[in-house]
Amino acid sequence: MSMLDRKLRRDLRALLTQALAVALVMACGLAMMIMTRSLILSLSTTRDEYYSGNRFAEVFARLKRAPHSVEAELSAIPGVAQVETGIAVQVTLDVPGLAEPAVGLINSLPERGEPRLNRLHVRAGRLPEGRASRGELAVGEAFAEAHGLRPGDTISALLNGTKETFRISGIVLSPEFVFEAPPGAALPDNRTYGVFWMPYRELATAFQLYGAFNSVALTLAPGASEGGVIAALNRILQSYGGRGAYGRIDHPSHRRLDDEIRILEGLAIAFPLVFLSVAAFMTNSVMSRQIALQREQIAMLKACGFSNRQIGAHYFKFSLGIVAAGVVLGAAGGIVLGGLLVDMYHLFFRFPSLEFRVDYGVLGLAAAVSAAAAFTGVAGAVRRAVRLPPAEAMRPEPPARYRPSLFERFGFARWSGPSLRMAFRNIQRRPVRSALTCLALALATGILIVPNSFRDGIAYVIDFQWDVIQRQTVTLSLVEPGPERGLHDFRHLPGVVRAEPFRFVQVELKSGAITRRLLLQGLPAEGTLSRVIDAQPRQLRLPERGIIMSAKLAEVMRLQPGDTVVARVLEGRDREIELPVVGLAEDFAGTAAYMERHALNRLMLEGDRISGAHVVVDKARWGEFVAAVKETPRIGGCMIKDALRDGFRKTTAESIGLLQKIYSFFATVVAFGIIYNSARISLSERARELATLRVLGFTRGEVGAVLVGELVILTLVALPLGLLIGSVFAAGIITTVNTETVRLPLVLTPANYAFAVLVVATASVLSAVFAARKLAEIDLVSALKVAD
Amino acid sequence: MPTSTPASPSTASGAGRNGEPVYQVRGMARIYGEGTAAVTALAGVDLDLFAGELIVLLGASGSGKSTLLNQLGGLDSPTSGALRYRGRDLAGMDEAALTLFRRDAVGFVFQAYNLIPSLTARENVALITEICRDPMAPEEALAMVDLADRLDHFPAQLSGGEQQRVAIARAIAKRPEVLLCDEPTGALDVHTGITVLEAIERINRDLGTLAVIITHNAILADMADRVFTLSDGRIVHARENATRGAVRDLAW
Ligand SMILES: Nc1ncnc2c1ncn2[C@@H]1O[C@H](COP(=O)(O)OP(=O)(O)OP(=O)(O)O)[C@@H](O)[C@H]1O
Ligand SMILES: [Mg+2]
Repeated sequence: MSMLDRKLRRDLRALLTQALAVALVMACGLAMMIMTRSLILSLSTTRDEYYSGNRFAEVFARLKRAPHSVEAELSAIPGVAQVETGIAVQVTLDVPGLAEPAVGLINSLPERGEPRLNRLHVRAGRLPEGRASRGELAVGEAFAEAHGLRPGDTISALLNGTKETFRISGIVLSPEFVFEAPPGAALPDNRTYGVFWMPYRELATAFQLYGAFNSVALTLAPGASEGGVIAALNRILQSYGGRGAYGRIDHPSHRRLDDEIRILEGLAIAFPLVFLSVAAFMTNSVMSRQIALQREQIAMLKACGFSNRQIGAHYFKFSLGIVAAGVVLGAAGGIVLGGLLVDMYHLFFRFPSLEFRVDYGVLGLAAAVSAAAAFTGVAGAVRRAVRLPPAEAMRPEPPARYRPSLFERFGFARWSGPSLRMAFRNIQRRPVRSALTCLALALATGILIVPNSFRDGIAYVIDFQWDVIQRQTVTLSLVEPGPERGLHDFRHLPGVVRAEPFRFVQVELKSGAITRRLLLQGLPAEGTLSRVIDAQPRQLRLPERGIIMSAKLAEVMRLQPGDTVVARVLEGRDREIELPVVGLAEDFAGTAAYMERHALNRLMLEGDRISGAHVVVDKARWGEFVAAVKETPRIGGCMIKDALRDGFRKTTAESIGLLQKIYSFFATVVAFGIIYNSARISLSERARELATLRVLGFTRGEVGAVLVGELVILTLVALPLGLLIGSVFAAGIITTVNTETVRLPLVLTPANYAFAVLVVATASVLSAVFAARKLAEIDLVSALKVAD
Repeated sequence: MPTSTPASPSTASGAGRNGEPVYQVRGMARIYGEGTAAVTALAGVDLDLFAGELIVLLGASGSGKSTLLNQLGGLDSPTSGALRYRGRDLAGMDEAALTLFRRDAVGFVFQAYNLIPSLTARENVALITEICRDPMAPEEALAMVDLADRLDHFPAQLSGGEQQRVAIARAIAKRPEVLLCDEPTGALDVHTGITVLEAIERINRDLGTLAVIITHNAILADMADRVFTLSDGRIVHARENATRGAVRDLAW
């Protein structure tokens, strides 16, 4: 090892805590970057492998009924690679141990061999096959897990009016149901919604669909246009009650997975960017200080014939040491945390196996980025150092010029002791340094705001979505839309305090080239249970004409109030209706569109029909209520609001919440790092001066007060600035969690601000105490002797 | 007996100084700053210095001694005039060439020692020997300044005189052709100062190195071959000693 390197190693050791502080900040940024990018890699490669291995289809369609012969027509569509047809029907389930009825989607399995597309992955047991397969079905893992079902257990389903009991042959996964949520719902409710598979013959016979199909999945030939195939498919299926074909982008499970990856992508950039800039700034301040301290050493090296390059390289290596520590810590942290987070994704994304994959490309990139950040931080200081003519560097730095501070000129001096006065003068003497320290403290405050704004956003969503918008206990849906009279039946169920009818219709909204499929909700004009709320928040009255939609939906469809949207009805008669957009609603789980129910009935050219009701149930009679619901065959679904809220809590809230906790921890570390570093640097800059004061007879307390006073003044200035910066950061980063399935509002609470202030204040106090302790350790004689 | 000559031209080559001069300085000036703020640190210096000589520079504070030494060592470049080192034009060299010149030919000893605090005595010397062409072993250089037993001490564990001797060992370990010392004893007591100067003298004698020493102590002039006195950036007095006095015998 060369002597310069040996010097480097010892200098680094002497500066260990400071170097570590910088390395830790850098590590936090890198850990988040590596963690999120690796999660993205894990999710997307696992998904891609699963999709291709199990042949996930690319275009999907539902229809009423088409004979098998049509399949050949579909295969003949130019651009279609493979077609799989089958049956999918929704049934009401009776699950042992579950009081309320559950909804099941039963899909058919081909009579012979594996499906061409959307192949199942058997987790346990086997598929219902062979002669012995009568009365058997396979169940999706999420539902099975929610009810502790195992192969061999039984479950009852109402097939076309007849209750039948099935034996579970196996637990399976399907690429179509990575995210197992009911159609149209952004949130899973694995207790009341499950997916099942059974042989075609049995299912078709029960629903009088033998020799026909009602669902289509297909893949595209390389280079084929999805839009073209969808159009052709729609044309063919039109006469068979087609409900509009759609691509993966409208596929609920695919969509949700996509959105999760998109959120991670946003976070993978925003947070690390902030942290790495902070790290670059800290590297700069540490290195500037180090170079200032070693001014004479640099001059000596130059005098003795070391070239500018050698000296520059020496200091770059110094920062490289810090970067190396940061990269190692960051990579280790990112990999460990990523491994933990990936386990959490098991909770709601069902893959045959979701293995954590470290994105080594990003690891390399991260190392390069932080090295670049550190080098930009150091470059200026190093350049100044090597430019210094050696003869000049031998001369001591000219003494600083002090002036009475502004503060004193305003006449506050009377109330301040000499320590405070000196603190003010110190700040004013180095305005740039002080401003930078202040900015660093503000950044430390700011980054603390962001993660907690996520937490508060989630809390707000939970309240808003399920207390302000939805006030029902339960949403009951009919197997088939029926006349409004049915509402009386709902009202007479035991325990029902209130009931409000709704009519939900599957539609495809079109605006220009953009289409979206969703449930158009027909509600009472001014309902009290499921309400339409705007951003104010204020309840919106549904007008006689026109549609109100989620602001997010309007945004992605590029619509504004006053514009017209085309709604294609996907049930009953195939109709296209033009609707004016009359308002925008605020909601956070999925997107929705609302109309006044009667207006919707009129558009459907039907009478007063309802598809269900939102009801409030007396908790005391809950048992009676669910028992009665189960006994009512016309009721096909029973969505319990609290279960949905729980679903949100356990999935979206949990994933964002875990990220938030990790980020919050990192932000705290970073805040401490920044502040500690600032304290160390100002201690080092002032050591000689403060030692002089001590020699002149100032007490340790008075001298400490100069140092602490300076930090306190800067912190006081930095806090409001930091809160502002943090709010801006939060606003910026929260937009990354703004997808069609999951959104977070920007919520900034006093508690959030208070926490940031508290952390920064604590860090300041601790750092000040530490600096004061260090000050006490300074040997007066040597502090005065060492040219500094 | 010392013989004194009036100031300038100090270029005369004295007895026993044969061959080409190591340094040839003609009309060298160094002006810092510009316009009204300009400071003339050197105002036309003529000088010839020869191999093996021991030169002492005297002069009041601010007279330009350090500036002259810095020009000789290639730490700074003159504003005007000629400065030749063994026939090469130092005044016109660029930064890279000057760096090589310093690396290969010059050993510096500074008043403030300028050791690297995080390196031991041996390492401080090795720092320099690593980058030169034909260095002596750091241990050998330290032995020449009587520090063979303090090899592994850090600067903070050495006295001022010992630190300065480490600095001298660092300067001579590269076997420089010139040894430039700016107030090497400035911060030392008499006794320590003597040890340091003896070390410089020994190197000058044993290795034939041209040594230039700046000092405020006129008595030290007796150890030199030649003594120059500066005032306001000029050499105002030059003196040649027929015999050099031993450092130990100088009347401090
Ligand atoms: N880099 C510089 N910029 C401006 N003026 C300078 C610079 N270096 C030296 N001077 C000025 O040049 C003159 C000569 O300085 P120099 O350092 O050579 O004096 P010196 O004889 O070495 O004095 P001392 O005995 O105090 O070390 C002084 O007036 C000094 O202020
Ligand atoms: Mg000087």
